[in-house]
Amino acid sequence: MKLILSDTPLRLPEIDRASVEWIDLSALNITNCVGCFGCWTKTPGKCVIRDDAVRVYPRIAASSHVLYVSRIQYGSYGTTMKTMLERAIPVQQAFIRLWHGETHHVQRRVVPKQAVIVAYGDLSEESKEIFQQLIARNAHNMSFETYRVVFATQDKLEQTVENEVQAWQKS
Amino acid sequence: MAKIMIINGSPRAPKSNSKRYAELFAKACPAETEYFAVRKTNHLALCCAMQEVSDVLLVFPLYADGIPVTLMRFLDTLAQNTPQHPVRISVMINCGFLEPEQNDIAVKMLRLYCRQNGFASGSVLQIGSGEAILSTPFRILVRAKIKRLAAAMLAGQERTWKVTMPLSKGLFLKASTRYWVSYGKRNGVTKEQMATMQIEG
Repeated sequence: MKLILSDTPLRLPEIDRASVEWIDLSALNITNCVGCFGCWTKTPGKCVIRDDAVRVYPRIAASSHVLYVSRIQYGSYGTTMKTMLERAIPVQQAFIRLWHGETHHVQRRVVPKQAVIVAYGDLSEESKEIFQQLIARNAHNMSFETYRVVFATQDKLEQTVENEVQAWQKS
Repeated sequence: MAKIMIINGSPRAPKSNSKRYAELFAKACPAETEYFAVRKTNHLALCCAMQEVSDVLLVFPLYADGIPVTLMRFLDTLAQNTPQHPVRISVMINCGFLEPEQNDIAVKMLRLYCRQNGFASGSVLQIGSGEAILSTPFRILVRAKIKRLAAAMLAGQERTWKVTMPLSKGLFLKASTRYWVSYGKRNGVTKEQMATMQIEG
């Protein structure tokens, strides 16, 4: 399965809906993670907050290809994407393992991913550099086998995303 | 001595480890401190309170390799309501992993935020094994570093410290497993149940 997760509405006419699922987070009701550890220690694998996030993180876990489209601010995801990624921790266990020489959470049944992150917003050199480092860390914690970061200005965002989707469909 | 404003940016502020770290800082700091927790409804009130201080300490956990969105939303409001006078922002960040270096990127984000919004960067304490270390004898290491953080803040310095449990990775894995098994047991959930590979949906 291939998944596009965007934090903004996009016009993407060329998507093959049979093979690509697209979720616009800005249209969903997703509240902040409250750090209760319920998804690890009370209802393992299931978030106790029953809003729209609970239909998104299972799709993230099941996808072999993900394309995240996110605003970037001071080297971080924007708050819409970050809210969803924080709510995706039910895909991990509380337990810690060694992974690439560091301690990280054990993943549940998460399909290893080829990830593309398209970032728009604060494209200062420092912001871009920190964001690249962030995605490298995410790769350890979000099961990215491979990843690529693409920076796009707002006016070229839809075209950039469309190019990436077409590359998926050709592969 | 100037008052220091402590802001807890943890999503579970009232019951958070960050609150315990903030309390340790308040005890160790010779200057007066005032504690606040970020809530959905108090962003502007925190910005107003910041008008009265020249030093702020942000205390928060690492979330998804970065700053928790609870704190990010406050930072968005603060960027629109910056204080009229110079304010220095220091950081005490904790993560549940053994390596305090896993906090590096969140600290870089905050330093960039400070530069972009006219704040001075202060000192930093990065805590590894932060979920559990205060419940172990190694809390003495944290207390010592917090004391140094407080002194550096009062001296207006920009310094960085890191602290974690002095354990091998293998021992840390065993200790953390024991910690989480015990946590689940309090909720009536077994280790096997916690280790399920199933994700809802």
